[in-house]
Amino acid sequence: MRGIHVYILIAAAILLLVSANGMNQYWMHVSIMAMVYSILTSSWSLLAGYAGLFSLGHMAFASIGGYTSALLVEWFGIPIALGMVAGIAVCCLLGAFIGWVCLRMSGPYLAIFTLGFSEIVRITFSTEDDVTGGMAGLHTKPIFEDASRLPYFYTAFVLLAVSLALMGLLVRSRWGLFLRALREDEQAAAASGVAVARFRILAFAIASGFAGLAGGFYAHYIGVLTPGIGALDYMALLVVMTVIGGMERLPTAVGGAIVVEFLLEILRGYGQWRLPLFGIILLLTMRFARNGLLTPLWIRFVRLGEGRIAAAPAVAEVQREDSRA
Amino acid sequence: MNERQTLMHGVGLSKRFGGILANDTVDLTVAEGDLIGLIGPNGSGKTTLINLLTGHMKPDGGEVMLRGQPTGGQPAHMYAAMGVARTFQLTQLFARMTVLENLLVPALTRPRSTWAEASRRARGYLEFLNLAHLANLDAKNLSGGQQKLLELARCLMLEPAVLFLDEPFAGVHPQLRDELIKRIQELHQAGRTFVVVDHDMESILRISQRLVVMARGRKIADGPPAEVRADQAVLAAYAGL
Repeated sequence: MRGIHVYILIAAAILLLVSANGMNQYWMHVSIMAMVYSILTSSWSLLAGYAGLFSLGHMAFASIGGYTSALLVEWFGIPIALGMVAGIAVCCLLGAFIGWVCLRMSGPYLAIFTLGFSEIVRITFSTEDDVTGGMAGLHTKPIFEDASRLPYFYTAFVLLAVSLALMGLLVRSRWGLFLRALREDEQAAAASGVAVARFRILAFAIASGFAGLAGGFYAHYIGVLTPGIGALDYMALLVVMTVIGGMERLPTAVGGAIVVEFLLEILRGYGQWRLPLFGIILLLTMRFARNGLLTPLWIRFVRLGEGRIAAAPAVAEVQREDSRA
Repeated sequence: MNERQTLMHGVGLSKRFGGILANDTVDLTVAEGDLIGLIGPNGSGKTTLINLLTGHMKPDGGEVMLRGQPTGGQPAHMYAAMGVARTFQLTQLFARMTVLENLLVPALTRPRSTWAEASRRARGYLEFLNLAHLANLDAKNLSGGQQKLLELARCLMLEPAVLFLDEPFAGVHPQLRDELIKRIQELHQAGRTFVVVDHDMESILRISQRLVVMARGRKIADGPPAEVRADQAVLAAYAGL
């Protein structure tokens, strides 16, 4: 018997899909971008929140996925879906390589290393303008010739749903348990029989693959790909979304992406001042609710319908989450 | 010489940190069913020896044999898979995971393990160590003594051939220390092999069948506790006599 929250989520998803046709093009674009960011935040949460590998190279992998797919489609005329799969494969391989190179790094060392990697990727894409179009951008083939954004909305929804289902299976499996053990204490994990190196490399490969998927879809949706996608400000936005939502759970990381993306649009009238506002929210989150603003809400939502008796553990869990802050 | 089978054999183990020789050609044999107390002053190389024997450090010289086979520089998780379990000087738990999850991690690394069987075994060990009522609490919320017990339980989930306990009694309330000693003795009587490092001489002498003493990176005595306590080299190392 599944919790009532599962049925609520399914009903909300069906309602969203049915009513999507009535959405105006502007908000549909915002929704599509929120779903692209959701794939990125949830996969970054897998890496940073579950495995404790605080990489700042996630957007670089998104750009690699995007450029790989766009260029292969342009050069060889392969179907876009195949180009995106190739982008995912390249990101998985490169992610595994980066994971292997920084096996002995953690914390600030890992962050700085991956930031360096991300800058190398960005500068390479912007310098090699013969191939990538440089800062002028690379014109990419659209997935749908139709001018409407509706097919993109449905595609983004399916990609997000499939990504979350796969990542959900992973985090609920024994591998998910091992990743969390790595985050807590690598030496103790090794003493418990966890193959630390293998799981670190695996975490990088899988998370990078999902970043490549998001990048590939973005490339063929937006039409023009620039090296800016891999820049530090986009990575910072990703961190803000994930941390504000809650980086140790996939649904809260997705919630963070949706809330921040929509708030950014709703507050557009405030111009650049909305960005410091998110900075302040981030600071307050880190100070008072380190596990994210949405985590306590998500825990309460998951426990809906369990009745008064069963609510006690839920409260205990919320208190435990709060005490982690 | 007893007829028990040799489980582990550290042969001429050496480890250097910069100018300090932390272990200097140390030999240590651990036989099946042993309960060895490993003692020595601070900085004598006890923890380094445990790190070498459990794969957490690679020796600069010598080698570790397990059941007669050289382990050949395998990573630490392979030692765990081969039945070598350890605790740490400063307790190292998975702090933000529940007590039960702490035990599921080692159990699920075993081939052909299942969640149901791992949970059943974990709950059994939690009962044995009086931690069952804390199963769903985050490990960081346990007291120091309870954390030591949980670390022992985590080792037991590997169904190990030999357990290395690094200062299990340090900072533990006397009542919980007695509980820990009782459990170690029960496990030993049930056939488990232990190497216990500690500074608490009273506790070590209560449980050990064999005492190994280290000083300045070398093994200076190895034998029955009564003999070792009278050894002049040991007295000199401890009291400067």
